[in-house]
Amino acid sequence: MVIAALLVFIALLVAWIIAPSTDRRRAEALSDAAGAALLPRAA
Amino acid sequence: MPTIDTGDTAWVLVSAALVMLMTPGLALFYGGLVRRKNVLSTIMHSFFILGLVSVTWVLWGYSLAFGPDTGAGLIGGLDWIGLEGVTGAPSDTYATTVPHLAFMAFQMMFAIITPALITGAFAERKRFKAFVLFAVAWSTLVYAPIAHWVWSPDGWLFGLGVLDFAGGTVVHLSSGVAALVAALFIGRRTGLVEPATEPHDVPMTVLGAGLLWFGWFGFNAGSALGANGLAATAFVTTNTAAATAAITWVTISWLHRGSPSVVGAAIGAVAGLVAITPAAGFVSPAAAVLIGAGVASVCYAASQLRLRSRIDDALDVFAVHGVGGAFGAVATGVFATLAVNPAGRDGLLAGEPAQMLLQAAGVAATAAYSAAATAAILFLVNLVIPIRVPDDQEEAGLDLAQHGEIAYQP
Repeated sequence: MVIAALLVFIALLVAWIIAPSTDRRRAEALSDAAGAALLPRAA
Repeated sequence: MPTIDTGDTAWVLVSAALVMLMTPGLALFYGGLVRRKNVLSTIMHSFFILGLVSVTWVLWGYSLAFGPDTGAGLIGGLDWIGLEGVTGAPSDTYATTVPHLAFMAFQMMFAIITPALITGAFAERKRFKAFVLFAVAWSTLVYAPIAHWVWSPDGWLFGLGVLDFAGGTVVHLSSGVAALVAALFIGRRTGLVEPATEPHDVPMTVLGAGLLWFGWFGFNAGSALGANGLAATAFVTTNTAAATAAITWVTISWLHRGSPSVVGAAIGAVAGLVAITPAAGFVSPAAAVLIGAGVASVCYAASQLRLRSRIDDALDVFAVHGVGGAFGAVATGVFATLAVNPAGRDGLLAGEPAQMLLQAAGVAATAAYSAAATAAILFLVNLVIPIRVPDDQEEAGLDLAQHGEIAYQP
């Protein structure tokens, strides 16, 4: 049981490392909604 | 054979819940102090740690900190990994009148808030992924060993006779020093408005300070590990030091800057709580007044020095927790008396000057280890994931850039 619990944590740790960065388009949409170009646009 | 006392058990469990509330309180305290574009990321640091360290503590942290010693007084073994053998029956070693699981849960809350304290140093510029790795490594490699040194009966600082009632060195000094190292490592924020960035929500900060003050009764009075006179002593000294430090900080800032600062009242109260933490169960209420006034003066000076430096410890974690923790630890060696706690030791004013030197040695050892280990962890994490966000993300704010959310709708 303890080994299974440790494996769950290791899986989470790996997921955190490989997880994608915040979606840029969503961040830009939120930036627009906030009424200011807070997030510099990609070229 | 240890037997369970229901009153003690109820108090320790309630105290664990009180200490748990401190971490969301810290999130609000820090969240109000940063700019509005970074409030969510700042709050997230503390809230995520609440989940993260809860799990690592159950899986291995408690065993490393409080498990049977591996031989040199440096760290516990893996006998209690996954809480194997930690049950509803009392421990033979710790808090022998409450279930071992209750003691473990109480200690868990300390392990949670300690790395959360560090996050104030690298606020507004740290990459979330890197923060997660740092938090796992730091709580395992820095917090657990230091807790073992000071609080395990086999720990080497415990064996020397160093007093730390509720974590002045284990929690505050270790995190404060780590914060200083982190601030130096990650560098200054870009585009700072000198001399300091104004808080975006002072009421949020004051609410956070209030929750911290409330939860600190569990932190300190709960460290009596029983519903008894020692808990009452710690409760009163805790409140007295916080109160004295709050009004002293306000007075100093009033004289220095010309106005009685609300943020200063909040920070002053926290400084008082930090300093009384190692002393709470060893000193009298009158000594708590002196400790509160002293730490407010020292930490105020430290924060002013920091402002004049190039060190961007964004939320003054070192000035309050590092300096305040060291001050409190040494003050414990000055004011401790067996008249308050027969299980403690006499300090300088009770005729035992050596205790103050022991306390200073404990401070030096804890600070040195925390600094070196934190630097090593930051270096290694930075090799895997860059710790600092790019400049454009910092400019946009971490709420949007790192979390894809905003705190306040237009």
